[in-house]
Amino acid sequence: MGGGYHARRLAGLLVALLAIGAPGLAGPRPAQPQSRPALTVFAAADLAFALEEIAAGFERIHDVTVTLVLGSTGHLAQQIAHGAPADVFFAADESFVDDLTRRGAIIPETRALYARGRLVLATRADRGPRLTDLRDLAAPGIRRVAIANPRHAPYGRAAEEALRAAGIWDAVASKLVFGENIRHALQFLETGGVEAAIIALSLARVPGIEHVLIDAALHTPLNQAAGVVTRSRDPGRALAFIEHVNGPQGRPIMKKYGFLLPGEF
Amino acid sequence: MDWFPLRLSLQVSLLATALTVAAGVPLAWLLGKRRFPGRDLLGAAILAPLVLPPTVLGYYLLVLIARGGPIGGLLDRLGIELAFTWHAAVLAGCLGSLPLLVRSVQAGFETVDERLEQAARTLGRTEASIFFTITLPLAWRAVVAGTGLAFARAFGDFGMTLMVAGNIPGRTQTLPLAIYDRVQANQMPEANVLALVAVGVVVAVLFGVGRWARVRY
Repeated sequence: MGGGYHARRLAGLLVALLAIGAPGLAGPRPAQPQSRPALTVFAAADLAFALEEIAAGFERIHDVTVTLVLGSTGHLAQQIAHGAPADVFFAADESFVDDLTRRGAIIPETRALYARGRLVLATRADRGPRLTDLRDLAAPGIRRVAIANPRHAPYGRAAEEALRAAGIWDAVASKLVFGENIRHALQFLETGGVEAAIIALSLARVPGIEHVLIDAALHTPLNQAAGVVTRSRDPGRALAFIEHVNGPQGRPIMKKYGFLLPGEF
Repeated sequence: MDWFPLRLSLQVSLLATALTVAAGVPLAWLLGKRRFPGRDLLGAAILAPLVLPPTVLGYYLLVLIARGGPIGGLLDRLGIELAFTWHAAVLAGCLGSLPLLVRSVQAGFETVDERLEQAARTLGRTEASIFFTITLPLAWRAVVAGTGLAFARAFGDFGMTLMVAGNIPGRTQTLPLAIYDRVQANQMPEANVLALVAVGVVVAVLFGVGRWARVRY
């Protein structure tokens, strides 16, 4: 049992590790064979269902692969500011697009309003009586309420504004659970962790969830804007995607998910 | 079921493990076999990522490698992008794995009887020759054990990867990030499968390495 044997064994291990890992050094391996061009869309989480449907249509017409990256508007904006490889950014609040434009991360001429969002009060259908009024959240029977994190998610900020405007902030603040984004807040409700959630109307039509609109006068309007990211390798197609959402193919789908459309507000 | 996250995670963690071994074994030798000023400080600095919050590491790493940062800016001029690519995930994996590997290997080197190395030295062997023919062969179990741990740690990295590589499906979404994503979207069946796969891979690797090198974790 010479030492050389073990040294060779060890060297073999290292060579094997490198051999398996090193081909990756050559470059990223994309998910699909990249015969067709790809478009990376960073989008606010309230667009999860609507954009999935719209992107499918866009992929068919333009023969591209659309990758949707969903998250809170604030997080996505932060990543784009740090150079994340997005082609288009769909924010849930226009101020984030304007901020990125000022910082040179979004092409100013491509900025477009695409929707106005609505907040709803959502509850589980199998959990007692349906809530009809925001003030019901103050009742002792409601122990936990989910909203998106107001610090970086526009729908969370709007939810906080609405609770303050309704005069129940102090009663509800200690019950709040923050989701990373608005889809996450919905997940808290779906999995039964909370009795109620304030979420986007566009996400509310899922099985087992009941919802009622929250008076839009209680919060700053959720005017949602999009823009092409300056570093996009394919700004033409990126702009085409925004136009598709705002065009005859996209608008009916956005409407179906409860968004108010440009020209309607 | 999309298996890209598993493939990416294996690729990222294997590469991270190779890089960690390449950097960590010399560091472990320095810490275990050499006396020099600042040795304890170096040891503490290497150990720190093990206990620092991933958010702290992720934040610093991002600031360094983002386009505006000192390293990222330099690379940007060379046309290389690091932040929000899967290479950033490799870097995150290395940072998390290094302390585990160095700890394990250093302990192995320290148990090698110094008299054997001294004897070789009196016979005129070079330090490199002593390392490869005496120290490393006698401590090989520790190196293998550390390598297994390094792989498992890199495979499971979440916080740092999320911050420096983003969560882009088909590009930087590793297995842990995919699980996070599925849970947020309430796609529990898929989250379940992916989580089981993650447990399976890590346990299989640690068990396999343990059996092969006859080490106990």
